[in-house]
Amino acid sequence: MNKLRENEHLTGYVFTAPFVLGFLVFTLYPILSSLYYSFTDYNLYEAPGWLGLDNYQRMFTEDDKIAKSMQVTFTYVFASVPLRLVFALFVAMILNTATRATGIYRSAFYLPSLIGGSVAVAIMWQQIFGDQGLLNSALSLFGIHSTTSWIGSPSTALWTLIALSIWQFGSSMIIFLAGLKNIPRDYYEAASVDGANSVYRFFKITLPMLSPIILFNLTLQTISAFMTFTPAYIISRGEGGPLDQTLLYSLYLYRKAFSHFEMGYASAMAWIMLLIVGVLTLLIFKSSTRWVHYETKGD
Amino acid sequence: MPLRKSSRMFYHILVGAFALLMMYPILWLAASSLKPNNEIFTTAYSLIPSRLEFVNYKTGWRGFAGTTFGTFFTNSFIIVILSTIGAVISSALVAYGLARTRFWGQRFWFVCMMATMMLPHDVILVPQYVMFAKFDWVGTFKPLIIPHFFGTPFFIFLIMQFIRTIPKELDEAAKIDGCSKYSIFYRVIVPLIGPALITCSIFSFYWRWDDFINPLIFLNNPEKFPVSLALKLFLDGESLNNWGGMFAMATLSLLPVVVVFFIFQKYIVEGISTTGLKG
Amino acid sequence: MKKALTAILSLSMVFSLIGCSGSTAENPANGDTPGQTPAAASGDKKDPVKLRVAWWGGQSRHDYTLKVIEMYQDKNPHVTIEPEYAPFDDYWKKLAPQAAANGLPDIIQMDISYLNQYASRNQIADLKPFVDSGSLNLDDVSENAVKGGEVNGKLVAMTLGTNALQTTFDVETMKQNGIDIPGKEWTWEDMDKLGAQAKEKGFLMGGFAYRHDVFFPYYLRTMGQKMYSEDGKSIGYADDQAFIDYFNRYQTWYDNGYILSLDKEAQKKGVAEEDDIYLGNAISGNGWSNQFLAVANLVTDRSLELNPMPGPGQKEGLFLKPSMYFSVTESSKNKEEAAKFIDFFINDVEANQLIKGERGVPVSSKVKEALKPELTENEAKIFDYVTWAEENSSPGDPPNPIGAVEIEKLLRDYSERILYKKVSIEQAAPDFRKEANAILARSQK
Repeated sequence: MNKLRENEHLTGYVFTAPFVLGFLVFTLYPILSSLYYSFTDYNLYEAPGWLGLDNYQRMFTEDDKIAKSMQVTFTYVFASVPLRLVFALFVAMILNTATRATGIYRSAFYLPSLIGGSVAVAIMWQQIFGDQGLLNSALSLFGIHSTTSWIGSPSTALWTLIALSIWQFGSSMIIFLAGLKNIPRDYYEAASVDGANSVYRFFKITLPMLSPIILFNLTLQTISAFMTFTPAYIISRGEGGPLDQTLLYSLYLYRKAFSHFEMGYASAMAWIMLLIVGVLTLLIFKSSTRWVHYETKGD
Repeated sequence: MPLRKSSRMFYHILVGAFALLMMYPILWLAASSLKPNNEIFTTAYSLIPSRLEFVNYKTGWRGFAGTTFGTFFTNSFIIVILSTIGAVISSALVAYGLARTRFWGQRFWFVCMMATMMLPHDVILVPQYVMFAKFDWVGTFKPLIIPHFFGTPFFIFLIMQFIRTIPKELDEAAKIDGCSKYSIFYRVIVPLIGPALITCSIFSFYWRWDDFINPLIFLNNPEKFPVSLALKLFLDGESLNNWGGMFAMATLSLLPVVVVFFIFQKYIVEGISTTGLKG
Repeated sequence: MKKALTAILSLSMVFSLIGCSGSTAENPANGDTPGQTPAAASGDKKDPVKLRVAWWGGQSRHDYTLKVIEMYQDKNPHVTIEPEYAPFDDYWKKLAPQAAANGLPDIIQMDISYLNQYASRNQIADLKPFVDSGSLNLDDVSENAVKGGEVNGKLVAMTLGTNALQTTFDVETMKQNGIDIPGKEWTWEDMDKLGAQAKEKGFLMGGFAYRHDVFFPYYLRTMGQKMYSEDGKSIGYADDQAFIDYFNRYQTWYDNGYILSLDKEAQKKGVAEEDDIYLGNAISGNGWSNQFLAVANLVTDRSLELNPMPGPGQKEGLFLKPSMYFSVTESSKNKEEAAKFIDFFINDVEANQLIKGERGVPVSSKVKEALKPELTENEAKIFDYVTWAEENSSPGDPPNPIGAVEIEKLLRDYSERILYKKVSIEQAAPDFRKEANAILARSQK
């Protein structure tokens, strides 16, 4: 018995060896460096000088943009992630049949996610939400004449970014599709025999069986929403305007690191971000024992 | 599930119209790539160019001072295909290790893996560069390919979640048949996580294809640039830009990712059947 | 499918277990930084030399710069030049880690707002020794242009071209609509009037595109004040009245609808194609002289003219700004050869026939003369304007101190908050000065 267990330790490390090695060789040093920088005044050009907790203290006592950018980021995350997931799941359910037409539909729905945050998207988004954009034209059909730019006004700018994020729901959709595929068909067949309707099937079979994948999408979408950065370039060239309404935390961090050359401060910001995202992820994981259903017991 | 004819038509009209709406950006991009240079902004709302400028593809393909987009596409394919193969295979191994074996330090490594996704890349970039410079890897494809052979956290976690939806009884049964953990992995698990592996391949292909930050930092010689980076070389805020050429190449650069997606997506849904897996 | 996957995976197991893990461990970590030639003594002239040259720009700049490089290599067969180019924002992101790893290219294109950053942190070399040795010939370069590259008495950057602030007028549209065209000597009151007349005819006037980081310092200069103190350690003015006057006037323009509203400005991408003169919305615009070219080339059906900025105090306010520089990095092992390339770039007539003032009006008077007959109409207008400005301007300020980038952003933030009425101008003026001073104090510790 003891021997078997030892064997499993070995097997475990054989399989995880690529990650463990990669982590030690490629990732550990940069991560530890950034942690060290966060206690220094590192400016990229000169050797870092020790500051202790100054950077962290400054973040919370002197820099009011930190609070602002956190507020923007939290709004962005909590609005875009749930909407994106619901949307992705809904479309995945609709497209979960194997016909040629749905294949084309799937591609069509994934396409927006393929053009990322390029200049092309920036120009196109302006065509939709700009002062002479599609949205204002559509509104005028209903007698509402608006000439403001949704992208440019402080009260709506962030919401156009959220809309963009929801529109690019393709990757979550694909993961859901793959998850739906993994649900054994017998379950549905058995339920059909019992005379269950589709609502019952969705809540009693699909959702529980899909819950590990939902957990994955929820966690990863939350993490990546916190890291979101490029879409802000669509508005005010990455300045975070108007009135700092699109000043995402990671955008501010980027500016600190590469345009103000305060790499030490940026690193401190990054570690606070890690802490926040880490705690949120932990909360999601803790809650998941109540709603995620694993075929594997006791994990 | 056979639908009645009318409701099937309703489905296609609704979903089709919606799909068209979602396709708008691509149509717009393609239309812009055929517009004369100055029209891209003045008639941005229109999908129909006043005259077709196929010459945009020629001026775009020309690239920069002798380095054509032929070179950039070749570079992209080398980087993307190698790193995707590496990322998917290694991630599958690691995912299995973390999801199905119990070993000392398992939880620790899982936390490490999650944490690497939570630290913004911007603050890691500089020490990473210094490190790769010490390896003498800067200016080569190595920093863009080799790290992917050591598992990508996103894919590892994704595959882990898929493995966890597979009943453990299957492993047990195989074990009784005399299978080791290794053969369980590729005889039992791998066939069942096909959709997940395909999903990872699609994502990896697109992400590597789209990534320009790492090539920007680690490559110096423009002859080694991938398409993603080359596309950014067209534009400059203060001079007249070859918008037509840029849009033409941007459209062209979408082709491989769209084709890869279209070919692979059907395996997600049609792939290996998972019937007969009752617990 | 199934078989293929299994095959790939079993293959990969072997690969990843044996192949990969081994190869990384074996990789020797030697201390060499990339791209540096093994110490070639710069004294011996015919030794083969490799130079890395980096710049930012767009397609046309890449194209002609590579041609200039080819030309140089033909004339100097012992030199091999490795070009590295990127767009502006990415360029600085690319240089930062290279600086950290002590692996910067030999020659880097430099911008005025980054100059102090690189100079005061010992990243770029003093070029004076190479001027003295004759490798970098500055005989035909005006003193002002040379001064623009000096930090703390060292020539750390060579100006490649100059710009001057200007007002662009769409004269034909103005005439057709009976809008008075101001002369060269015009004032802020004239500009108020221009805005009112334009507005009446349904046009806007160029509203500085909210680049107060450019135009507010100009305004200060016209009043004999400076944005930054001589030592760069504090804001250069003590009296907030200039700030209050400047933004009061601006607020009036904004509230009267003379200039583009903030939300429409915010959606711009910063490219010439969305210029309001080109789009027919505005009759004037303000910017640097080089920015005139792109807009004027777009507007093909009517001609645009360059005019100075409003006064009083025009001459004191106006200055020649180095559009960009070449700097030789401190880590370069071939500084002398690098200086020779820069010399070629600014002095060689043939090379400049390719460059054609794309990096700003050339600093060498000889080159400028030689180029004149070959210029297009719009290029000639810029050359003439800058030549006029040389006579009618004052020496430029020293390069912006470290922290200026953050202060420029602060100023833009305040201008937004003022126009959106989130803060009164009287309140903003001292607050801005205080915060800006704090940034400077922190940046120069």
